[in-house]
Amino acid sequence: MPTLSRADNSILGRWWWTVDRWTLGAIGVLIGFGYIMMLAASPAVAERIGSSRDIFILKQVFFLAAAGGVVVAVSLLSPRSIRRVAIIGCIIALALTVATMFIGVEIKGARRWIALPGLSVQPSEFLKPCFAVVAAWLISEGRRTPRFPGKLLAIGVFLAIALLLKSQPDVGMLAVISAVFFAQLYIDGLNLFLVAMLLITAAFGGVGAYMFFPHVQRRVEAFLHPGNGIGTDYQPRTALEAFGNGGLLGRGPGEGHVKDVLPDAHADFVFAVAGEEFGMIVCLIIIAVFGFIVLRGLLRLLKEQDLFVVLSCTGLVAGFGLQAFINMASSLQLIPTKGMTLPLISYGGSSALAVAIGMGMLLALTRRRHHADAA
Amino acid sequence: MTDAPPANAIPRETPAWRRGAATGDAVPRIEMVRVTQPDLQRRGALEKTRGRLVYAAFGFGLLFLAVIAKLADATILQPLAPHRPEKSIEALFTAPKQSNSTMAAAQRAMITDRNGQILAISLPTVAVFADPRQIIDPADAAHRLKQVLPRLNEDEARTRLSDTNRQFVYLERQITPREQLAINNLGIPGIDFRPTEQRHYPMGRTASQVLGGTDVDEHGVAGVEKYFDRRLFDDNTPLRLSLDVRVQAVVRDELSKAIDFFQAIGGCGIVMDVRTGEVLAMVSLPDYDANDYRKAIDDQKFNRAVTGMYEPGSTFKLQTASMALDSGIVHIWDKFDAAHDIHIGRFTISDFEGKHRILYLPEVLAYSSNLGAARIAETVGGERQRAWLRSMGMFARVGIELPEAGLPIIQPASAWKEIVTMTVAFGHGISVSPLHVVRGTAAVATGVLQRPTIVALPPGDRPPAGAPVMEPAVADTMRRLMRLVVTDGFGKQAEVAGYYPGGKTGTAEKVGKHGYKRGFKENFNVAAFTSVFPMNGPRYAVYMMVDEPHGNKSTYGYSTAGWVAAPAAGRVIARVAPMLGMLPDTQDAPQINQALYIPLQPARPPAAPRGPVTAGSPPAPAPRPALTLPVSPLAPARPIARDPRHEAASSPAPAAAAPSLAAR
Repeated sequence: MPTLSRADNSILGRWWWTVDRWTLGAIGVLIGFGYIMMLAASPAVAERIGSSRDIFILKQVFFLAAAGGVVVAVSLLSPRSIRRVAIIGCIIALALTVATMFIGVEIKGARRWIALPGLSVQPSEFLKPCFAVVAAWLISEGRRTPRFPGKLLAIGVFLAIALLLKSQPDVGMLAVISAVFFAQLYIDGLNLFLVAMLLITAAFGGVGAYMFFPHVQRRVEAFLHPGNGIGTDYQPRTALEAFGNGGLLGRGPGEGHVKDVLPDAHADFVFAVAGEEFGMIVCLIIIAVFGFIVLRGLLRLLKEQDLFVVLSCTGLVAGFGLQAFINMASSLQLIPTKGMTLPLISYGGSSALAVAIGMGMLLALTRRRHHADAA
Repeated sequence: MTDAPPANAIPRETPAWRRGAATGDAVPRIEMVRVTQPDLQRRGALEKTRGRLVYAAFGFGLLFLAVIAKLADATILQPLAPHRPEKSIEALFTAPKQSNSTMAAAQRAMITDRNGQILAISLPTVAVFADPRQIIDPADAAHRLKQVLPRLNEDEARTRLSDTNRQFVYLERQITPREQLAINNLGIPGIDFRPTEQRHYPMGRTASQVLGGTDVDEHGVAGVEKYFDRRLFDDNTPLRLSLDVRVQAVVRDELSKAIDFFQAIGGCGIVMDVRTGEVLAMVSLPDYDANDYRKAIDDQKFNRAVTGMYEPGSTFKLQTASMALDSGIVHIWDKFDAAHDIHIGRFTISDFEGKHRILYLPEVLAYSSNLGAARIAETVGGERQRAWLRSMGMFARVGIELPEAGLPIIQPASAWKEIVTMTVAFGHGISVSPLHVVRGTAAVATGVLQRPTIVALPPGDRPPAGAPVMEPAVADTMRRLMRLVVTDGFGKQAEVAGYYPGGKTGTAEKVGKHGYKRGFKENFNVAAFTSVFPMNGPRYAVYMMVDEPHGNKSTYGYSTAGWVAAPAAGRVIARVAPMLGMLPDTQDAPQINQALYIPLQPARPPAAPRGPVTAGSPPAPAPRPALTLPVSPLAPARPIARDPRHEAASSPAPAAAAPSLAAR
């Protein structure tokens, strides 16, 4: 990377000296792992998708590069622009999510995707970062401007999104967005009594999902009673065997078997592939990178003055961290199996771009600036 | 860093001192601070936010620590056993019960002969397989594999490796550790190994039909492997068979020679311990290599000794004679009309090379007279005959531990007419397995019927008692008669000096689908010789049968049992007896021969009734007529050498016998 003088006053120069370079580096590391895991998963996935391996690799190379570009491009924006982008993005994503109900591709019993040439997009993926920023804006604006019902509006948008996701159905995404919104309310200083109430509601929501969604019920059953049913128990057990097979140092690149037997090895179980081929140490590094991004993101907010920045960054970081946690924990059978990609590491263009937008926003909002620059 | 001062700007410098005020009431030096109400609220809210951010970060830290803990648990603390995908794929094709039993049992038990020689053993081995989807260049992979695994079919391997629709293909079911290392060193991605077990039969063709074979999953599919399948899985101790591979080898050798010499299609040979029923040798030719059970053809798998049902022919005359003598109706000195053929309905019974005169009972056996045997059976009657044959086990399976043991083919009681009685007397109109004949012959020689077994008697166990089937005196007479067949009758070629074998020839026409199988020029025969030796103390029964022999110059065109089977049986006795620890006793030959002597035409004792008791008269209970000859007073000549030194000193034993003795 060319060295940039502190005196460099260009857009890039200013960006370089104000952006959180540690977090940027960590995102770069994740994209690097994404390339490695793409190579590991490619033979099995290429066969499953039915396209040639080369096309598959080229696509993912392009998407990961694009994701890196998006991170940088979005992080160049000012907080004000970020807010605008988020509002527009949230509207588009909401519209597309509605559209999935009518023109969506049905995959495994759920309408979540919209097919574009060369890529199928899951609009709710993009909804997540955009809604986090929008909700933060509404809440902080509600505090700043009297008589502006920011919190109520935010809750209204959230309920609309929740209704949409429930009818798709995409319980996993609903849970993440709910958790993100809840985290924002909590950080905003929600009454602890209400916090407790919401937690209880969430618990009831989980029970409700268990009762009303058969596939949720099956997965929870499989989690609570391993070895009960052959079908549902098979995936998490195989993933655990992959970790056991990998051990401390792994079997070596290409030596994994789990990717041959698990349908979603390249996405939902990519962490198990990493565990089998590269071992515990590399898995620890991956966890450490995610943990670093999340903890650094949250702790850096301690010095932040602007409530909008605090809340939106909290939402972005929480969404990112929760997604990573859910993916890794369900691979390890710490929680019931929930299909969710590992940010930037799992295969998939739509997911990588959505995460990149979120991370770009995070970087943009946490750039060092004059106090007055804030929205 | 934001340029603004921290919201909760607590001044770090020492508070300004104000005159007249307490130190604690000191206020910051900066006094001109204007903080608006909303600003204050915002600052307060941000303060609360910061606290909660720390909690949130703490919560995320906990979540990631939980993942780390679970990761450590799954990878190094309690790693699950690596689960290979091929197992789940195979499980789709094999019944769960089978795979369970395969997994459960560590190793299938060995099968040994009576001396501990290994006949079947399960060896751990390794199978090499491939996942074609991971193979980058099938042709190159097949070529490189061929270099280290020369027996690999390169074309076939290439085809298999190219089949990317499959995730699992076998390349070789068993390879050596050295080959495994070599293949591993090739470093071809997608090639892998899995441990398996392979049933191996080190002796190849030896006793292959008795052992049977196993399928790929090591399940017995024939023979002892099938009969004792459960036992071999459950109990890991070797299964010790009664077979003696040395005896087995001799019988197979002699039988094979006889089959070649007479251009026969097959044959069978049996050696059985007459005291215990243990089968020491059971040969059926053609046979197969037990390692290649799946490649064997049906004729090779067919165990003539227990599955083959043949008309026993003249060997059955032993049954007829012992039945008649034991019934008390017929005496040893009785004479029977063999001068005239018997015509019943459309059947005609005649003699092969008959004497065309009245024959005494010993002559009926020695010259193997069908007419004489028919007359004897006619005298005794069909009902008694059936009862006798049933008591000799001819109506049921032979009881040996082989799944292939078959049922004899017997006329039903309703059809057991006079003609059946007469033909069965010389072994026609009934089909039994060779082992039935061997057991019957042993019972005739000892008076006790034993159940043949293929499993060795545990050392130290008393031999089974067996079922007495006739008066000891009758058995004694029968031994003389059997010996007479060898000394003066058709079985002369079975004589082995010093071992005093006795027996009976039997040549039967083969029964095909449409009655007797007859060729253009000659009939298709089964030539058998059943014998027991030594007659002065029966130890072993030897049976040799040649299927469809063709006479040649040396036999003057004859293909009868006396020319075909008897010499083979004699050679078996000569070779086997020393192995079994018996020395030929030529020293005492005169006494032994004298003791076993029976005249061809015994004189009728003065007080005895003239002619056989007719069938109509009561079946003459005791007192039985005394025999003209006393029961042999002599102990068995030299059955088992308990003390080799004594043997060596007292008899001019052949030098060849000594080593085998020492070996035992």
